[in-house]
Order: sequence, then structure tokens, then C-alpha cells
Amino acid sequence: MSKKTMSRRDFMGTAAAVAAFTVVPRHVLGGAGQTPPSEKLNIAGIGVGGQGGSDLNALSSQNIVALCDADWRQAGGAFKRYPNARKYKDFREMLDKEDKNIDAVIVATPDHVHAVASIAAIKRGKHVYCEKPLTHSVYEARMVAEAAREHKVATQMGNQGQAGEEVRLLCETIWDGAIGQVREVHVWTDRPLNGINKVYWPQGVDRPKETPPVPETLDWDLWLGPAPYRPYHPCYLPFVWRGWWDFGTGALGDIGCHSLDPVFRALKLGHPTSVEACCTLVNNETYPVASRVTYEFPAREDLAPVRLHWYDGGMKPPRPPELEDGRRWDTNGALYIGEKGKIYGGRLLPESRQREYGKPPQKLERSPGHHQEWINACKGGKPAGSNFDHAGLLAQVVLLGNVALRPELREKLTRAKLQWDGVNMKFTNMPEANEFLRREYRQGWAL
Amino acid sequence: MKESGDSKTVKRSSGLSRREFVGVAATVGAFTFVPRYVLARSGQSPPSEKLNIAGIGFGGRGAGDLAEVGSENIAALCDVDEKYAAGVFKQYPKAKKYRDFRVMLDKEGRNIDAVVIATPDHTHAVIAMTAIKMGKHVYCEKPLTHSIWEARQLTEAARKAKVATQLGNQGQASESTRLVCEFIRAGAIGQVREVHSWCNRYISPRGIDRPKETPAVPETLDWDLWLGPAQPRPYHPCYHPFAWRGWWDFGTGVLGDIGCHQLDPIFRALKLGYPLSVEACCSGVNDETAPLASIIRYEFGARGDLVPVTLTWYDGGLMPPRPAELEDGRRFGDADDNLCVGDKGKMLGHRLIPESRSKEFGKPPEVLPRSPGHHKEWLSACKGGKPAGSNFDWAGPLTEVVLLGNIAIRMSQKLYETGLKLYYDGPNMKITNLPEANKYIRDEYRQGWDLSV
Repeated sequence: MSKKTMSRRDFMGTAAAVAAFTVVPRHVLGGAGQTPPSEKLNIAGIGVGGQGGSDLNALSSQNIVALCDADWRQAGGAFKRYPNARKYKDFREMLDKEDKNIDAVIVATPDHVHAVASIAAIKRGKHVYCEKPLTHSVYEARMVAEAAREHKVATQMGNQGQAGEEVRLLCETIWDGAIGQVREVHVWTDRPLNGINKVYWPQGVDRPKETPPVPETLDWDLWLGPAPYRPYHPCYLPFVWRGWWDFGTGALGDIGCHSLDPVFRALKLGHPTSVEACCTLVNNETYPVASRVTYEFPAREDLAPVRLHWYDGGMKPPRPPELEDGRRWDTNGALYIGEKGKIYGGRLLPESRQREYGKPPQKLERSPGHHQEWINACKGGKPAGSNFDHAGLLAQVVLLGNVALRPELREKLTRAKLQWDGVNMKFTNMPEANEFLRREYRQGWAL
Repeated sequence: MKESGDSKTVKRSSGLSRREFVGVAATVGAFTFVPRYVLARSGQSPPSEKLNIAGIGFGGRGAGDLAEVGSENIAALCDVDEKYAAGVFKQYPKAKKYRDFRVMLDKEGRNIDAVVIATPDHTHAVIAMTAIKMGKHVYCEKPLTHSIWEARQLTEAARKAKVATQLGNQGQASESTRLVCEFIRAGAIGQVREVHSWCNRYISPRGIDRPKETPAVPETLDWDLWLGPAQPRPYHPCYHPFAWRGWWDFGTGVLGDIGCHQLDPIFRALKLGYPLSVEACCSGVNDETAPLASIIRYEFGARGDLVPVTLTWYDGGLMPPRPAELEDGRRFGDADDNLCVGDKGKMLGHRLIPESRSKEFGKPPEVLPRSPGHHKEWLSACKGGKPAGSNFDWAGPLTEVVLLGNIAIRMSQKLYETGLKLYYDGPNMKITNLPEANKYIRDEYRQGWDLSV
């Protein structure tokens, strides 16, 4: 790779080439909700029980004015911490009633509600912080990103690692040519496993037959949101919805937007040209227990084509011979294979090579913090690092991998990999795969 | 199987004779094939006479094996489950029936020449050893044994007793296996550094825990005999019939079930011996059952002028990415297959890819003798013919390497914590860098069972 400096602006805007797009600083915008830096934002939380609670805490320097959750038991902790915030079950009602009072929302619902909640807020000119993955489907990710661009709101996806030092060092090391051209990257997570012997949430299971009563504290219909109706069962919530096709996005959706983000930045990836996958037995209820997804990216200017391999459920690539005995080959990790070396855990292999190399020249601006980036953007500062122009593309690519895992396509996919036309958002060699880019909403729900 | 560095039987790229082909495995120790006709033991049948064969464990795969040797006399049958065995008992009304193989071998010792063993993996060794020590020829289903140590003991015992042996990996007798060898030896894909082998057969439930219920043992089943040398546990239908394959105490997972079939041509073609190292990753580990999915990687050192090889095994639905050389529309996956990656090309199964390359190359020169059939090989070996293609000198070491992969799975947590892969000293049957892994080399038998019967 030629030594090429990349400005902060490039770094934030890697994804911005998907269309003619210019980052418009907040201060030139005249939308409602434009808050001067000295003032506090009024923020509403949608989905505040799990990660949403942590996001609220990270934003507690601002005013938390309203909280919304379909599950009031799960939301109990957040309700207690913000006693002055008004409480809602239905985000549509909240946005209606609080429209004049709020500048921004945090969306941390299950994946299947991200898009409808985000777009509803965006259309009202609210800034949006949305948990990863940005959406549940490829189509939704594109729609949300387009809406945010159109309404010129400040956005940030919840992949907080993007604000860290590690990703900057990685980019700078690779851009410095430390491992030469990178043609192959392996990224893996143990999820849905938690380590080697435990699980975070089940996958590879069937829909339960029992239909226990819905807890009084839960509005099941609202929790389902745009997803097809099914009876309540505790196997879906809290948290364990991640394994279900209708609600979550599996291990890839959960972790991909975190751990593939550095690959996208360092290698300036856009849309892939193909995707393929293999996995354990999969049904149309839950994601498989383990999978491997492989994306192929074309050359980007002077950067060589890249094959990106994703593994989950305990699968990973072999230990590279350069990794010294005694160094852990982690349950979550990334390995960059360049023509002149390898990077694992953000460090050149072997360790002697890293020591010899030292640090790359610093070219990228450091972040004030992931949530702070968004606060600044909401107040007219620069776009946040994982604004939806970046995050929308990243989420689309991540979610493409799940299409390649669909049980309905497994047989067909033994004959070819999926060829992807990113610009037109369609598979070119297997039209039936396109139906999994988007799904039908329940009546009464739309983007 | 040849050990790395020992070049005694490796003839360089000049084609391999029938003798070498069946005898590639024959170099672990000073060993010469002694044709059956020079042996003067009881049970030695001239080619014209029928063998008297006893079948042990035939509810499942064993029935097929018996049918394959149906040209001979099926003199006795033994199974611990009368109900499961009933169909086969009926098929051979003249055969004497037993539950306990020890009683059968005791009583029928003079009447039988050979045994066919198709019990669950954990009883292969004790049965085969008993038969071998009585001078009986042995056909044993794959994998040869449940542990590496057992495989070594059987191999040595069979060699010493000079009985005719064959493992139930019938693919070894196929045209496909010969083509794989002949393509590679003809240099069709150059030096092979990388092999991917996958199998997504379901075999039986895995990734589960031991049941808590203790249903009554069916009257038709002798549970204690079914357990054999394994540690006692209450009966449950989750073990028998067939479902034992997923349980570490009885079966050997998908790798054990299929590895001896599928890796066999690779071992022959690349003259693999013991690996230098092995590592594994999998979809969760427990001490009861094999994982739902795993990837196991073996590294083999150079063998003569053959370069080092990384062999990757995938099961549970995992497999390598589709090779760019494979044309759209051609099937890849949802099956068992091997992909050999050479420095001059790739071969999927026994076909060069892409198809244009296959057409251009044509067929490799035929240098290996063809087989009369897997079971026939054994029958003719029993009657003084050449050793069968998967005789225990070959099958023992092959099984050892296959079973080593399971040790890497069982050591996953420790390998993760220590940041290691397993380094293996094949000749000495020892994992050299993580001594506690060696406990999986040999099973602890229940009292009353050993291999020295």
C-alpha cells in the first residue's frame, strides 16, 4: 500500500462514497433540535433495559427526559435511575407527545425494532444513537442511512470500539505499509458461546410449543413491533432474542458491527462482490450454532482485493505459525494477513516484529469518546465516527452474511456463492435470495 | 503408515506397486508380510474352502458386513441386544447365538476361522484382541478402536499373531482412492501443502449432557455387556442403539465415525504418517459428548521429497470456502469431500478443477492394482492371499491419527488457556507439551476388562 495520509475527515467518511455525499456540519443546519454546545441535549431512550441502560449512563451529562420500553420490568433499573424522565411503552406515542421536548433518541431495542424506531425519530428531525447492528435487514440499513442523510440529523451506531485507540493504531500500521497489501482477513467470535463451555444465548433450536401467559409488565404486541405475530415465551426476552431470525441477527449481527468495523476502516472496504457461508444445521427459527461466512471485496484504488472470513460459535482460523507458543489464540479475535506480515490482536506477529516496528506515525485524530462524539455532532460538531453513512454500509455488509445462512438457500448455495451488486442492493445470480434482504412488516408498521 | 523421515518404503514419484500400496503402513517396526499359506495355524483355510465366520455386533453396520462375507459360513453370531439383533439372527438360522463374545470365542474357538466386529467403538479393541490372540482373522469396523493406545496394541498383536485383518473403511478398495493417489503421484496438482476434508453427516446427537432419568433396561439387552470395558453408567436409550457415536465414553464423534473413511485416500496419496501437531476449535465442549461442529488441524512434516502438509478436518456443516476454480453450478458442500490444494492446481475428490483442467490432464497413468472388493480382499487374505488394503498395519496408525483430533477437542479449554496447540510424538504415543492431554491416549477400563485376555 502506498503511504497515504488519511485525514480525520476521510476516516469519518470512509463510507460516504456510497452516493454523492458531503458531510454537512451541524452548525450550518437549521433543523429543530439544534442545540448549542453549551446547552444540554434532551434525550429520550427507546429500549432502556439492557445495553440501552448503559448508553443512557454514558450520556448522563445530558438531560434524560423520557424513557420508553415495552418491558417495564426489564426497564425498572433505568426508570429508577432517571426518576424525572417520563415513562412510555410505545415509542410512537412517546415521539408524538415529547416531540417538542426532545432533541435526540437512543435506540437500544431488540434488532427487529431498530429501523422503525430510528426512522420515526429521524423523520421528526431527532438525532439518533442506535445500538448495533443498525438494523435487522439489509434494506432497513440502507433506508435508515438514507433517511438520516436526508434529514441531516447527527447519528451514531453503538459500536463504541470505533472511538478507541486500537482501531486507529491498526489503520495507521496498515496504512504505513507494515504488513504490505492485505488480501486476507479472519475475524471471529465465540458468540453465541461465552468462552468454550458456556453459552450467551441458544441458537439452533426450534420454536417452543408452550404458550405461557404474558407477564403483566410486558406489552408483548409492542415488543413484537413489526415482526410477525407469535405467542409470548420467555425464550425470546430479555436478551436471548439475539438467536431468533425474527428478532435478532445472530452472532454475526451482534458482534460483526464491532469487530468488522476496524477491517472496513483499515482496508477502506465498500460493498463486497460475493458472499458465501457454511454452518451447522440451520432452521428458519434460529441462527445456526456455528458458522463461517466469507466475503470477497474488489480492489479499491491501489488496494488489493480482500477475502474476509468471519467465524462464530467457537470456530476460528488456525493459529498462525508466527504466533509464539504460550500466547493465547483468543475466543474473539482478528488476523490480518498481508504480503509482508500479519497482525493479530492489533500487534504485528511475531512480537519481536512488533517491537522492532514500534508505533506507526500518528495520522488520525483521536476521539473524545464514542458517546461524546455523538453529543458533539448533535450540537453542531463533526459527524460522529460511526454515523449512519458509515454504519449503514457496515451493517448492510454484516447482514448480507446472514442471508447466506438462510436455510431456504442452503441447497442452492452448494452450487454457487451469492454475487452481490451493492449499489443496486441485489443478488445478481440468485434472485430468490433477494427476498431475504427485506422482510414484510406486520400490519400497522412501516418505515 | 510411514513415519516421517523413514524412507524405507517410499519410492519417489515412480509409481507404487500393489505391495507397497497395501504395505505403506507396514513399516512401523521391522515387519514382513507372511503370506497365509506358509502359516501353519488352525483356521488356515485353503482358497477353495469356506471360512467359518463369527459376527459380533451386527444390529447396525454389522449386518451389511455379514452380507458382504455371505459367501462363507456364518457359524456364530453374538450381540448383547437380542431385539436389535433379531433380524440378523433370523437370516442365519444355522449360526449359534451368543450374547457375550467371550463365551462365544471360548465355545466356538475350534469352529471359527475369523470374526467380523461391528460393535460400538468402545468394545472394538477388547473383542479384536481376544480374537487375535486366538489366531482368528479379524474384520473390524471403523474406527479400529476407541483410543490411540488400543489401536497401537491391536496393530502390534495382529502383526505378531500373523492374522489377516481389515478395517471397515471400504472406500480404500475403491477406484476413487486409487485415482486420488495416481493424480497426485503423477504431479497433476504439484506438491500438496494443504488438504481440506469435511463431513456434515449428523451421525447422532452431540453437544448434550448426560440424561438424569434412569429408565429400566429392556429385557432383551445385556446392559453390562454393552458397556463392556467402559465405566459404568445407568442405561438410557440415548446411548443404544446407534446414538452412542456422539458420547465420548462409547463413540468417537463424526471424526471417528467418518475420518477413517475419508482421510484414508489422503494418507495414501500423500504418504502421511504421524502429525507433528494438532489443534482444534469447536462449537462448545463438554465431557460427555462430542461437539456439534468442529474444525481440526493437523500439521505433518516433510516426508522424503514430499513437502509438509496442513490437513484440516471440518464436521457439523463447516467446510472450506468454495474454491475459485470450481465452476458455478457444480456442487460444493452438504456432503463429504476432500479438497487437495497443490502448488500447481486443485483436486476436489478425485477430479481436478476446473473441469477444463481435468479434461486437459485426462486420466493419470494407472500404476496401482485395482481391488477385487473390500471384503473380498480380507477373505482372500484369510485364505493365504495378500494382506488386505486396510490391514491393521495401515488401519492402526490411521486410526491413531484420527483419534488424536478428538484429544485436541477435549483439551480445548486448556489449549486456550495455555496458548498452545498439541505437539505429538507419534512413535512414542505422547503429547509432548501438555502432559495432561496424555490421559486421553488410553481409556481406563472397568474392572475385569483388559487387553491382555
